[in-house]
Amino acid sequence: MLPIISADGVGKTFRQLKRQSGFSGAVRSLFSRDYSEIRAVDGVSFAIGAGEAVGYLGPNGAGKSTMIKMMTGILTPSAGALSVLGREPHTHRMTNAAEIGVVFGQRSQLWWDLPVRDSYDLNRHIYDIPEARFADNLAYLTAMLDMASFLDRPVRQLSLGQRMRAEIAMALLHDPKILFLDEPTIGLDVVAKDAVRKFLAEINRERGTTIILTTHDLVDIEEICPRLIMVDEGKLLFDGELKRLRASLGSRRRLTLEFATDPGPLVLTTATLSADEGAAKHFVLEDETVSLIDVLNEVGRGHGLKDVKLDEPDIEEVIRTFYQNKPSLAGAAP
Amino acid sequence: MRLSAYPAFTTTAFQARLAYRNQVWASVFGELVATFAYIAIWTAAFAGASSVAGVSLPDMITYVLLAGSLLNWRTDRLINELGESVRTGDVTVFLLKPFQYPGFLAANHFGQYAFDQIVITLPVAIIVALTVGLLPPASLFHGLMFLPYAALSWLILFCLACLAGLLAFWLLTVFALEWFLRGIMALCSGAIVPLWFMPSQLAAALGYLPFAWVSYYPSAVYLGKLDAGQSWTHLGIGLVWLVALGSFLAWLWARARHRLVVQGG
Ligand SMILES: Nc1ncnc2c1ncn2[C@@H]1O[C@H](COP(=O)(O)OP(=O)(O)OP(=O)(O)O)[C@@H](O)[C@H]1O
Ligand SMILES: [Mg+2]
Repeated sequence: MLPIISADGVGKTFRQLKRQSGFSGAVRSLFSRDYSEIRAVDGVSFAIGAGEAVGYLGPNGAGKSTMIKMMTGILTPSAGALSVLGREPHTHRMTNAAEIGVVFGQRSQLWWDLPVRDSYDLNRHIYDIPEARFADNLAYLTAMLDMASFLDRPVRQLSLGQRMRAEIAMALLHDPKILFLDEPTIGLDVVAKDAVRKFLAEINRERGTTIILTTHDLVDIEEICPRLIMVDEGKLLFDGELKRLRASLGSRRRLTLEFATDPGPLVLTTATLSADEGAAKHFVLEDETVSLIDVLNEVGRGHGLKDVKLDEPDIEEVIRTFYQNKPSLAGAAP
Repeated sequence: MRLSAYPAFTTTAFQARLAYRNQVWASVFGELVATFAYIAIWTAAFAGASSVAGVSLPDMITYVLLAGSLLNWRTDRLINELGESVRTGDVTVFLLKPFQYPGFLAANHFGQYAFDQIVITLPVAIIVALTVGLLPPASLFHGLMFLPYAALSWLILFCLACLAGLLAFWLLTVFALEWFLRGIMALCSGAIVPLWFMPSQLAAALGYLPFAWVSYYPSAVYLGKLDAGQSWTHLGIGLVWLVALGSFLAWLWARARHRLVVQGG
């Protein structure tokens, strides 16, 4: 499949004038040529095919928003080649803008003083959406995102959850081929988050809209994006399926054995002791092929085993392990 | 996109202002007081004389409304909006859309201008017309000529305000620029004191600067103080100024966009 987004060694370096404090500092910095350089994105390469849903993940300041801004044509890359729908986004800003939809969790695109519906109507003009198509899309999005109750209210009166749903609908009215979302679930409560996730997954499945989203919430990725791109300090750390990330780290299940009385030190070949609280002992199962039965067989019957608990690692933990092992894994990323 | 988006911006801006229509009473009242204050000042200045330097008191009263209220519109909204959105990086939202931001700004603020004129200037003009009286255009020619002059005036002031707002990108302060432009306009555009009453050397100098096309020349044409030949010449000079300012604005905007390092979010 021909990729619709391809990044080849893309980098972005911000040059920031060093500002001195105070009035005389401000005057001096007018003439100063003293810059500090920030490598927000550093040699990132990936290819995304039509219809994919990709989660872009990384800690604060990792360069996620910067990458989104380059893909949407707002920022010019300072290194490498970037192509979106076969074009360089920043040199073809207008054509690119007509074919993509963008949602910034922190920045509203709706008209503050107008009813939501009027903002949409303005978009109909801006994107030249045929009347019938517009009506269809509006009806579909209103139903899917449950917006009927606030479509005629001014944006300034909406709750954050309502506003975010309105923003997402706004970005989809013109049938964009790609939808970029920068932290779309930020600040939403559990119910609103869930509604947004279900909707994005559905739009990706039903309409084949390619979705690129950045987030700090791993559940977003788990529910919407089969594919994960992970960055830190501007560099690509991992690109692949979430499943593969789990596998590449080993599943590292955790096992807790509780005994009636402290059985004394216990050494096993199938599991590694991670913490010993006497009657309760915590193990880590390094080897994926080892089953619970194997461990229990090795422990044997004589110790008065009372309870057994096996924890599959959740995604948060997978990621945490990943960051901790970063230096050794960075080279292994494709 | 279709060009129809720009008129849509104008009507949308008008509607948005309509949402706050109950706030305009203070503006109407303030404008009324200011207008009558100027009328009182000019009445006192004329001190019963029928004309001063070829200008009559009714001329001046009409001039106050034309040059002050109609043509020298308040640019603070535009300067603040542009300056803030450039400074905070909110302008990126507009770069995500398939339209030209300066075109959008012009369409949007023309909608707001139309709102202000209908809701604030028109009632004040009616009250002035019914109490002290307003003059019609000096002739049909001058009346028709006033239209391109008014359009030119609006566009020149729009360019000046955009330049002031864009400079915030480099100077990181909008407030000072806004005051600066307001001061310049008050002095150089003839919005308060027409060039007729200024010392001749100052008037000659100001007569060539673009500010005079905002208030002074359109009003002078309306009142018939420029003959046909002068009217055409000055329209030509004004157009040259508009092209020059527009080009400078386009160049500055291109540079700003180029350097637009949007704030991280
Ligand atoms: N306009 C700018 N000028 C200078 N440095 C910037 C600018 N924008 C971003 N940066 C820097 O680039 C780096 C990456 O920023 P970016 O906003 O892309 O991070 P992010 O991954 O989106 O973080 P977050 O999760 O906090 O949103 C940060 O160190 C940031 O300080
Ligand atoms: Mg960000």
